[in-house]
Amino acid sequence: MTDVSDAGLRRRATDAPPAIADLLHEATVCEIAEQAWLALVGEDEVLVPLPAPLPADALSSWVEIVGPWTGAVVLTCGRDTALDLTRALLGGHAPAVVEQEDVHDALGELANVVGGNVKAVLPGPSVLGLPEVGTTPPSGREADSVRVALLWRGSPLTVRVQSVLAERENEVPL
Amino acid sequence: MTVRALVIDDSRAMRRIVSGTLEGFGYETRQAGHGQEALDVLHGGWVPELCTIDWNMPVMDGLQFVNAVRANPAWRPVTLMMVTSESEHGQIVRALAAGAHEYVIKPFTADAIRDKLALLGLLPQEVSL
Repeated sequence: MTDVSDAGLRRRATDAPPAIADLLHEATVCEIAEQAWLALVGEDEVLVPLPAPLPADALSSWVEIVGPWTGAVVLTCGRDTALDLTRALLGGHAPAVVEQEDVHDALGELANVVGGNVKAVLPGPSVLGLPEVGTTPPSGREADSVRVALLWRGSPLTVRVQSVLAERENEVPL
Repeated sequence: MTVRALVIDDSRAMRRIVSGTLEGFGYETRQAGHGQEALDVLHGGWVPELCTIDWNMPVMDGLQFVNAVRANPAWRPVTLMMVTSESEHGQIVRALAAGAHEYVIKPFTADAIRDKLALLGLLPQEVSL
């Protein structure tokens, strides 16, 4: 007898990859980010879901997810916000002088924690990459992403879950 | 008697947080940035009662570290606790099957760590639940 319980979920190799918006809702991303903030940044540290423009000196951290859905989870905020986040995350364990390496490390870890929990709600099995930090996160299809804009202590930050660009989409026309 | 813990995580921030939490419970801690560095600590003769282990790390990941520790009978008494953002059920099963005793998913609270330590019998008596 054929098991039909997952018949509608199976994909052929030639099928288009699932759209992230079909797999994940903004509310879920918000909830994951809020949990990460409360546990890591501080139990009084709330994220307010309000859009605001990011500053020009934005810094991003991201982790890639490779599996039935492939893409990246990207956290972006201003550099001052990243510094404040680092101090808050380290709390009493913060060094006297917070260096750029500390900021990158802390922002990367936040992306890692948010990304790991996003991965858990996506179809698996998947592999989570190591966090990266920089000013130019991997490009993704804008139309195939879930993006939440948040305020932390009044400063804007975004969490974007974006599908990876196919190789042909990355090619620059000659 | 002081309980010792080796905190293994490629994030310096997370090492500080986990170490600080454990030190708050009376632990003596050391840190390692990946599995191989942690194995070097063990080979050097500092064998703790507890290792907290991230999963995704460069050089040697947490699962490889668990396998390496479990392959050495001299390290059998070491309690292994995964502390990681890997929260897929299959990954948790893999880690426990490889020999990890407990699994804590990031983000975690100090209370969650304390509860796990109590379950493992590794919470110093002076720390109240």
